[in-house]
Order: sequence, then C-alpha cells, then structure tokens
Amino acid sequence: MLGQGFVSAAAIAASVLFILSLGGLSNQEKAKRAVWYGIVGMGLAVFFTALGPGIGGYWWLIPMMVIGAGIGVYVAGKVEMTEMPQLVAALHSFVGLAAVFVAWSADLERRRVLAAQAADGVMQEFSAFAALVATKAPDELTFLQIEVVFAIFIGAVTFTGSVVAFGKLAGKVDGKPRQLPGGHILNAGAAVLSLLLAILYLNGAGFWTLIVLAALSFFIGYHLIMGIGGADMPVVVSMLNSYSGWAAAAIGFTLSNDLLIVTGALVGSSGAILSYIMCKAMNRNFVNVILGGFGGSTGPAAEIEGEQVAIDAGGVASALNDADSVIIVPGYGMAVAQAQSAVSDLVRKLRAAGKTVRFGIHPVAGRLPGHMNVLLAEAKVPYDIVLEMDEINDDFASTDVVIVIGSNDIVNPAAEEDPNSPIAGMPVLRVWEAKQVFISKRGQGTGYSGIENPLFFKENSRMFYGDARDSLNALLPLVD
Amino acid sequence: MRIGAPKETSRGEARVALTPESAKQIQKLGHECLIETGAGLAAGFNDNAYRDAGVTVVDSADALWQGAEVVIKVREPSDEEAARLREGQTLIAFFWPAQNEALLEKCRAQGATVIAMDMVPRISRAQKMDALSSMANIAGYRAVIEAGNNFGRFFTGQVTAAGKVPPAKVLVIGAGVAGLAAIGTATSLGAVVRAFDVRPEVSEQIESMGAEFLFLDFENSEDSEDSQDGSASGGYASPSSPEFREKQLACFREQAPDVDIVITTALIPGRPAPKLWLEDMVAAMKPGSVIVDLAAEKGGNCDLTQPDERIVSDNGVIVVGYTDFPSRMATQSSLLYATNIRHMLTDLTPEKDGVINHNMDDDVIRGATVTYQSEVTFPPPPPKVKAIAAAKPKKKEKQPTPEEKKAAEASAFKAQTKRQVGILAIGGALMLLLGQIAPASFMQHFIVFVLACFIGFQVIWNVSHSLHTPLMAVTNAISGIIILGAILQIGSGSAVVGVLAAISVLIATINIVGGFLVTRRMLAMFQKS
Repeated sequence: MLGQGFVSAAAIAASVLFILSLGGLSNQEKAKRAVWYGIVGMGLAVFFTALGPGIGGYWWLIPMMVIGAGIGVYVAGKVEMTEMPQLVAALHSFVGLAAVFVAWSADLERRRVLAAQAADGVMQEFSAFAALVATKAPDELTFLQIEVVFAIFIGAVTFTGSVVAFGKLAGKVDGKPRQLPGGHILNAGAAVLSLLLAILYLNGAGFWTLIVLAALSFFIGYHLIMGIGGADMPVVVSMLNSYSGWAAAAIGFTLSNDLLIVTGALVGSSGAILSYIMCKAMNRNFVNVILGGFGGSTGPAAEIEGEQVAIDAGGVASALNDADSVIIVPGYGMAVAQAQSAVSDLVRKLRAAGKTVRFGIHPVAGRLPGHMNVLLAEAKVPYDIVLEMDEINDDFASTDVVIVIGSNDIVNPAAEEDPNSPIAGMPVLRVWEAKQVFISKRGQGTGYSGIENPLFFKENSRMFYGDARDSLNALLPLVD
Repeated sequence: MRIGAPKETSRGEARVALTPESAKQIQKLGHECLIETGAGLAAGFNDNAYRDAGVTVVDSADALWQGAEVVIKVREPSDEEAARLREGQTLIAFFWPAQNEALLEKCRAQGATVIAMDMVPRISRAQKMDALSSMANIAGYRAVIEAGNNFGRFFTGQVTAAGKVPPAKVLVIGAGVAGLAAIGTATSLGAVVRAFDVRPEVSEQIESMGAEFLFLDFENSEDSEDSQDGSASGGYASPSSPEFREKQLACFREQAPDVDIVITTALIPGRPAPKLWLEDMVAAMKPGSVIVDLAAEKGGNCDLTQPDERIVSDNGVIVVGYTDFPSRMATQSSLLYATNIRHMLTDLTPEKDGVINHNMDDDVIRGATVTYQSEVTFPPPPPKVKAIAAAKPKKKEKQPTPEEKKAAEASAFKAQTKRQVGILAIGGALMLLLGQIAPASFMQHFIVFVLACFIGFQVIWNVSHSLHTPLMAVTNAISGIIILGAILQIGSGSAVVGVLAAISVLIATINIVGGFLVTRRMLAMFQKS
C-alpha cells in the first residue's frame, strides 16, 4: 500500500502529461508522441490511485479492468474510420453513465457514514471514500451534495444525449430532428422539476430524489438531442465531449480529487472550444444549434437562374486531363458512399501526372470535427495536401478544376451572395471561382439546410450524378 | 448519320473541318465519318491518319457531297458547292449570313439546313463551339509572331555583355479574344504590353494577362456613368461617340512615338473596322516599328493597311495586313475548329445514338441555324443571356485617414479593455461571494479547476483543425479518468456502492483503452507526402 504522497505525486505527473498530450496535437508528427504521454499519464494515475491508501475491492477491480480493456482493444481495432463519430459518441455515453453511478455511490456512502455516526455517536473506522466523508464538516457535506446533484445532472444528460447521438450517427435512429409534442417546453419543464428535486434533496429528502433527478436528466438528454438534425452532429458531439469533461470535474469535486478536476476541466474546455469553432463555421450561435432549426430568413431568397447540366465520367476525365491544378472538396456524402479510397486512387493518379492536387476541408464537413481529415488519412492521402478552408479559399480562383464530393451547404454561394438566405454569412468554400466545378452527387436534392444551392446552376458547374464511389471508379480508368 | 468533310476549295485555305482526333469523338456519338482524299494534307493530316481513325476516305468531292448527310466545312460554300446541297442535308461551316445574302437564299432554295459557326451565340455554355473565338485566339498569337518576324529587336529586355537591350513595347488595341491572346503571347515573350479597349469591364482581364490597361479619363457631363462603356449585348464592342473617339485618338497619339509594335484588333459587328491608328500616328512611330492589323479584312484599323499585304511606310514602319492568320497555322486551327464542330455535333446528338435532333428551342442551336426546313432563320432572336456581366459601378469606399484609423483602433482597444475588466470584476465578485459561503477545502479545489480551464483553453486553441477527431478521441480517453472515482469507492463496505463502482470501472476502462488505441490508430494513418 502506497502512501498519500505517492498518489499526489502521480496525480501531478498525470496532469502534466495530459496537458502535454493535448498540446502535442498541434501537429501531426508531434501528436504521435503526444498520445503516449496521455497513455503513460493515465497508467500512472490509475496505478497509483489503485494502490493508494484505503483502496480495497481488488477482487472486483482487476477483473473489471481486464474485461473493460479487452472490450476497448476489440472496439478500437475493429471500428471503421467512417464509424468514428458513432464510436466517439458511444464513449461519451460511458463517461456520462459512470459519472451518474459514481455520484450515486458518493451519496450512498454519505448516507451510510452519517447513519453510522448518528447510531454510534463515536468515530468508526471506514474504508475508502467513506473514510474521507467521515472527516468532512457539515458545510462541506452540503457542498458535497450540491456537487453530487451537478454530477448526476450533467452525467445523465451526457449519457442519454450520447446514446441518441450514437443512434443517429450509426443510422439506427432517424437523423431528422424529431421532438415530442411540446418541444422545448418539455425540456424546460423537466429542468424546473430537476431543480425542485435538487432543493428537496438538499433539504434532506431521501435517495429517491437522486434517482428521479437522474431519470429527468436522462429525458432531457434524450429529447434535446433527438431534436437536432444529422448535420449539426459535429456541434452535438463536441458539446457532449465537453459535458463528459464537466461531469468528470464535478465528480472530482465530490471526491475531493484534484486530478479528476484538472482532467475534467481540460476535456470540458476542449469540447467547448470545438463546439465554438463548429458554430462559428456555420455562422450560428450555440443556442440556435442546440435548440434546433435555422434562423428565419429576413426576406425572399434570390431567384436562381440557369439550369443544372449533367456530365458523364468521360467529360470529367477530359477536364481533369487538361487541368494543372485540382482541388477536391469532400463532404459527408463521401463518407456515406465510402468513396475515400477511390478518391485517394484518383489523387495518386493525378499527382503522378504532375498535377497539383489539394483538398479543401470545411470545419463542419462530415459528422465530427476533423472527420474528413481522418478518412483521407486512412485512405493514405498525405496530410500536407489536405488544407483548411482558410488556407485554401483564396486559391480557388487560380484553380482549373474543383471536384465537390458529397458536400452541399459548405459550398453554397448563397451564403455570400444572398443576404436573405438562411445560411447567409456562413463561411463557405468559394469553389465557384474555379474555372470548372464538378459536383458528384446522388441526385438533385438539397443539402441538410434544405435550401437550394445556386452553385449547381452556375455556368461553370457540371453535375456528375451517381453514387460517389461508383462515379469515381468509372472515372479512374479514363484519367491518364 | 454520315458526317463528311470536303477539301476546302477557296484559294490559300489550308484548314480542314475534320481531324483524326475529332473523328474518333464524332464516331462515339454514333456517327460515321467521311473525308475527301487529301483534304487534311495542308493541315498536316494525311489520308492514312484518317483511315487509322476509322474515317472512310472518298475519292472525289462529288462522292463526298453525295455520301454525307451532314457536310462540315471551314469556309462558306462556293456557288458550285452550294449547288451540290440537297434537301435534308445539313451544312456546318463559317457562313457570314449577313454578308452572303445571295448564298443564304441559294442554300434555302436547295432545301438544306445551314448552321453557321460564326453565329454561335456568345454565351458561356456555347464557348466550346465558339469557333470565332478559337480562330481569333490563333490570330492573336500569330499576330505577335508575325510582328516578331518583322521586328528587328528582341521582345524581352536583356542585359548582356554586349550591352543592354530594352524590352519591346507593345500596344494592343481591342481586348477581345484575339487581343487577349496577343497580350498573353507578347507578355510571355517578355515585352512590355499596354492594351486599350472601349469596354472598361475588360480591364481586369487585360491586367490578368499581364498588360497595363490604358485607362481613358473621360467624363461626360450628361451621363457620366456610361460615358466610356462601349460594350453591348453579345460581348462585342459597339460604336462610340465622337467626343470619346477624339479622346481615344489623343491617347494613341501620345503612345505612338513610344511603342515599337502595335497590334490592332478592333472590330464592331456588322460595320467596317474603325480607323484608330491614323497616318500621323504611323509617321510618329520609330523606324523599324511594326503594325499588325488584324482588322485588315474589314478595311483595317490603320490608315495604311492593305489587306493581304505587308507594306513599309515612308518612315520605315512595317504594316502587316494579312487576313489569313488562322490558315497560316493550319494544324492548330484545324484541331481547334474540328473540336468546335465536334462539340456542335455533340449538342445536335443529345442521345449519342447517331441521330441528329435539330432542337430549335435550344438557344445555341437556334442562334447558329440560318436556314431550316426551307426557311431563312436569320437573324436569330437576341440571346437571353448577356455574355459578360456589365461592370457594376464600384462603390468608392472611403479610405479612413491615419488619424481616424488610430482613433478607431484606440476605441476598439478601450472597448476591449472595458469588457475584459468588466468580466474580471464580475468574475472576481462571484468568487468572493462563493468564498463567503463555500468551505475552504472547496475553494482550494476550485482554484485548481479554474486554472485547469485556463490551461485547457490555451492548449486547445493550438490544436490543428485536421486533428480534431483524434483530439476528441483522446479527450474521450482521458475523460475516462472518472475511473479514479470508481476506484476510490470500490473498496467501500456497501454492496450497492461496490456494484455501481464495479460497473463504472468496467465502462471507464473501455473508454480509456478504446480511446487511446483508436487515437493511436488514427494518428498512425496521418502521413506526409
């Protein structure tokens, strides 16, 4: 059994390693090392905490960790990169659920200790967390209760929210926004009720208040995320990421564990920043995304002139053969069609022919921040030709051919040209400035926002209809 | 359908309407191709090249006109050729219907459908069949080459051991397709190029080709906005007012002693070429200077121009008035023209089944068709789409003076300071309040929490956008730190707590292991090229 000194030292080391681990993600090469910092930090933290003073129950602990590790290894090895959003959402739900359980346990321990103290009137020997509770003064215990309420609320919302997000991303739940009649009134009602229960609990009501509180929070998480559509998932997943951090931090307060607090705060702020970046990239504010729906337009949308002209693989191929510079703009459609390796083959062929090929990635392309980058990396597209919107947006004007694969709203010129458009002001990739634009698309439908895309009607745009992967595979042999 | 290209009959015409390359593409549309023997020789394509491309080579013009249902040509048909046209036959060629009314009438009487390549409307969709542009492009290029051929100096400025050579100064008048091609060619040879056009909206194009746009400071008191707007619908220039013309000539007069090479390309549809380079300007030029007049066929922009002639003025200025620039580059112009024809056939064969569908509702086909079903369909209704969007009047944004800028910056700084101080004050007050009611142990943890948030914000802002997914996965993994909470509780005496903690340990471990491994897997995939 190690002393408290070891545990504290390990906690400091782990905190530093976690910060280094996140900081290392500033660059692809550093990141490969940084992830090891995280792993070592986690290993230290778990090892020393488990061997710390007052810890028991190894008969439970070790088998559970072995089973969990086994599942973790299996899942991490098997998951397809297109399924990353689901996986991330699923992992968030675990943190949420664990937070609820730990918070419940904390309250149970508090009750047990208080009951024992009241019965005996003398100090009794407790183990583990109970020992800590036993030393707390009454005002500290009140704060403990507040922290428990927070942990349960955030944890429960994270849990069901993530489960629903998982369902939507995995296609198990319909991706369209869907709400029970009453909409956000129901959420508000549940929140008010939760507050009442929390007050009851603080005034000494029984453990049932925490169970009902969790149930209400479960409902809020479920209903809130059900009301948000598929393409807003980058924001939702980032938000849940943030919540899972805050839940961990709340547990840290409950258990008076600084390492938990630090880590939770790091994760929480990371998720918050990601949500902010995503919202900014859609020119919408956070509340608007979470409460669903696009902002109302202030006038009639501009009329679109022209027609959508289709083109076949031969036409695209001859344009590509003539082009010197090509930019590919992938979107969620590429992930759906699993077209990334076909894209990669095309890129390899074009680059072998001496053409400049680059990718332009919009921050909200895909269903997860950075999703496109991972998919392209998986298909062995070198990351130094995959550029962010800000890096590439000025280069479209000097580009011969742009291929848009499965994206719509992020290349919609209405955002810049039509002040009445619902997406007006959203930063978009200015693909229409290129000499020619080919849009690989399944059909004539509109994008997630449901608004018509004037890009498709521009004189230099050609529609390359069909499943993205089939289209690209048909294109490949024609490109030389 | 059988598509046939006869040998061009007009003198000196070296181009051909069908190349082996275009024949292959036309066959893909389901058509069959014929060519008169020797038709491509002058353009550098022999009969065998055509045979290799699957084209039937026929022995005589008669056999070709008999065999082909669609005849494709470069020049308008001679009287003899027009007599060979028959009912239901289609002819695609340059036709110049406005100048060739008699010929037009004759073709109509023969019952043939005529598509005039020179009448293809100038809209973006029809660019691929705009043969005028592709020929003008060649003419512009060739004009510079001819000028270079006649000019006794380098185009590019050089500093050599034998002395310094100044760059040639080229003035291009009229920045249509030919003018722009000339600008491009001359700049890439290293000359200093200036260009003029009556349509101010082309200044951007001129500058993008690397030339300097000679801007005319012309203010008309009545209508100052349109004063020098010489553009009309269809993307061509229209005549300008006398005052404007005077201003323009004054500008040229100023340029004349300075420039070495003048290339004029100014044409107004349906009118003789405007005289822009007058005798006195030629006289003002340095000996050895060259004028290439691309408008020679329409009388020339220069007073001295003789069509099809190269003359030398009294003061030694060479004036080139050739009218056959595209034919002088027969291989290139045939390739481009044949491609234009091929695109026209593609539009005429929408189903790619070898059946021509002459769709008179199509803007492009309607515009180019001059006779159809024994009726003259010229002139066509005006095109619906404007070729070049008229230049929008640029709103003059007031440049802030340095003082204003400074004041704006100072006030922005002030506002920001105010906001930050405000937030800090509110935050401080809240902390104070919390400190009053919260126990000391809580406050200690709270300090750690706030500092961690700050570090988190600083660190995460530096994360590369492309690594956001690995970031989420790794934060996922480390949020599994919640396992510590469960570890602290698992040893408790209570069975319920034990079970809850055990489940928490299980799922948190999945999180940690799964999160880290998947991050590692993802990061390993990121590779540099």
